[in-house]
Order: sequence, then structure tokens, then C-alpha cells
Amino acid sequence: MSAPRKALLLVGSPKPGASTSESLGAYLFEELEKRGVATQTMHVAKAVRTEETVEELRAAASSADLIVLSFPLYIDSLPAPTIRALEVLAEPPVGPAAFVAICQSGFPEVDHNEVAVEICRHFAEDAGFEWAGGLILAAGGMIGGQPLRKLQGMMRSAIKALDLTAEALAAGRSVPDEAVQLMAKPPIPKIGYRFMANWGWRSQFKKRGRGGSLKDQPYA
Amino acid sequence: MNANQTGAALLLDGRRDDDPTLALAHDALADGLAAGGWAVDDWTLRDDKIAWCAGCFKCWTQTPGVCAHHDEGRTVAERWTRSDLTVLLTPVTFGGYSSELKKALDHVLPILQPFMQKRRGETRHPQRYARRRDLLVVGAVPAGQAEGPEAVTFRRLVERNTLNMQPPRWAVGVLESGAGDWEVRVAVDGLLAEVGVKPARDAVGAGRREVVA
Repeated sequence: MSAPRKALLLVGSPKPGASTSESLGAYLFEELEKRGVATQTMHVAKAVRTEETVEELRAAASSADLIVLSFPLYIDSLPAPTIRALEVLAEPPVGPAAFVAICQSGFPEVDHNEVAVEICRHFAEDAGFEWAGGLILAAGGMIGGQPLRKLQGMMRSAIKALDLTAEALAAGRSVPDEAVQLMAKPPIPKIGYRFMANWGWRSQFKKRGRGGSLKDQPYA
Repeated sequence: MNANQTGAALLLDGRRDDDPTLALAHDALADGLAAGGWAVDDWTLRDDKIAWCAGCFKCWTQTPGVCAHHDEGRTVAERWTRSDLTVLLTPVTFGGYSSELKKALDHVLPILQPFMQKRRGETRHPQRYARRRDLLVVGAVPAGQAEGPEAVTFRRLVERNTLNMQPPRWAVGVLESGAGDWEVRVAVDGLLAEVGVKPARDAVGAGRREVVA
């Protein structure tokens, strides 16, 4: 791949507000901008809404030298609107930009996300893009849609991974192995993460729940 | 369920178009289940507008077990839960499911509880319901690619799903475009047999290996 002049961030989270996928992608793109790359961001759930927005998506993708898809894991794979976006980018292929995937999930292990990144690699090959690597962030709940710079210390491995990735991509190189390994490093021990997550669900239910229990079985 | 038991099957049809192989597979599944005495909830997903799962987690923290969207997406978890067998039909899309199938599948989240537990070395969400349903997944790839990299990824994806959904029995088959009616029916009947469905027709036998890996 060659050094990109224009990069497109595709935010694959269907959430209408702040998302962890956007936090990760936005940080990477700020670092790319610092290195002189022009950037554009699109949210796929909006981009696949109408024929007109699909054409805008395809036009943006075909004019970019680098595309980064940042998305959450949904049922071991990509969210439906993100798959839809990939389908429309592949029919017909709009390559030949470099393509990078960032997949994050609430699980503290990266293994859950590996198939989803593999799907992105197949897409890149099918759609005429150049696969430039994938990053997996586990324990995405630690970010919770907050800007990465605000979290700093807790997410230092992820930040370092994205810094290395920005440096490599801006120079026309693929995602470095060191970045992949740093991104995969859990920010806190898994047992602590599970404890915090379970406490968090109970706490949210106390605030938002409409009676019953978190273990309710409405269709039993 | 024992080997020849009948029950209720939910068929989530994720076809995006009228692909002939998937059309044959759909008919073979629906006919095979019906012939075996199963009640089939045959859902052509492209006919229904289902809002994307927004990842709001209200189905976990606000109305546990029930999706917050007031459209057909809300019925996915209910229909899934009340079935004895769930069948997914899809074109293999970059090694995964089509967006049509996935728009429904994303709404099964409420069949799980939000809690995180370590199970066999990985973190998982516990099942909301003690009763599980069997799972059969049928995908289609272009001719000659049943052993290709996207088919391999597809099988891995289904396997990951089974780790999280914990079906008592499951099977996955990859059909090749261009397969004929007889080939598809043989393949589908073989797959149905793997999840305990015995179609009352004489199609199971030789030939399955040619179209299903």
C-alpha cells in the first residue's frame, strides 16, 4: 500500500450516540490528521438508510486511499447495518483502498472477535480492497463511549496500539504486529473486569429497570 | 428431544434475493420439516422491516428479556425461545451471515442474561432460559467453494454461536451454487437428521458429501 492522502472512518456501531467504536476510530483518525492525512467519518447505520446515502457511502469509499471500519461485536459477528454496508461496497467492488478493521467487544478475551475480523478480511478481498490488518480490543466496556484521551492511563495499551497503527498507516504500511498485541492486552485482570461488569448490570437495572429481575423469563 | 421427536421449528430465511440454490434449500427445509411432522414458523426476513439492534441493552437492564423496539424485531427472541429447533438460511456473506439474517439474529440478545461467567476458559453470558433449542445453519457459496476460506470462516462463526447459545444439537452445511434439486434435498435431509429431524421422504443417502462439507 502507498501512503494515504485521504482516509475514511466507518463507524460500525448502530448506537445513535457516543460509542466505543467511534472513540477508537476517532482517536486513530486524529493521529492520522496530525500526520497530514485528510479524514472523513461516516456512520454506517445512517449510510445504508436510503439509496442516496448508499451512493454517498460508495463515493466516499471510492475516493479514499484508506478505509478503517471500527465496529462492536454483535452475536460473534458484525452488526447487521455494518454487514449491509459491506454488501453495498462489494456490489460492485469499489476498491482499491487499503482496508483496516477494529473490532471491540464487552468480553475480556479477544478470541470472541477473531471470526468477525476474518469476515472483514474476506470482505476486503472480495471488494477489491487491500487488507491492511485488524485490531481487536477486549473489555470495551472500560471505554463506554468516552473519548480515549480522557481515559489515558487505564487505556494506555490501546492508545499506544493506535499510535503505532497511525504511524504505520500514514507511512503506507500495514497494522504492525506490536499494535495488534498491545490492543489485545486486557486493561485490567479478567476476573476484576467480570466483577465490575456484573456490578454494573445490577446497578443499571436498579436505575432503569421496570420491576422484576435481571433474570426474568418473559417467554417461559 | 429424542431422535424422531417433532416440535416447533423457526426458520429464519436470510436470503437477499432469489438465488436458486437457496430457494431449493428453503423449500427442502420447509418441506422436510413439515414432512417430519414439525410445525414451521417460516419467516422470510427481507419481507419485514426490522429496526437494527441499537445496542442499547434495554433488553437486559430495563425490560429484561424483551427488546425495547416495537416492531417485528421484538418477536425474534419470543419466537426463538418458543421453538425446539432454529434453522438459519443465508448466502455466505464474506464468511458470515447476510445482513437480512443478521438484522433478526442481532435481536436474540435477550435470550441471554447480562451477567458474565467464566466457562471453559472464556467469558460467557448465562442462558436466560433453561430449555434450549437445537440449531441448524445452512449457507450457500459460489460453485467450487464449499471448502474455500469463506466457508471455513462460516463454519467457525456457527461454532462460536453454539458456544454462546449452547444448543443441545447443532449442524452446519454449506451448499454450492448450481446444486440441483435432488442434491440439495439430499444434503438438507442429512443436515436435518443431524438435529433429530427425520423427514418422511426417501432422500437421505449418497451424494451429500458432494455438496455439503
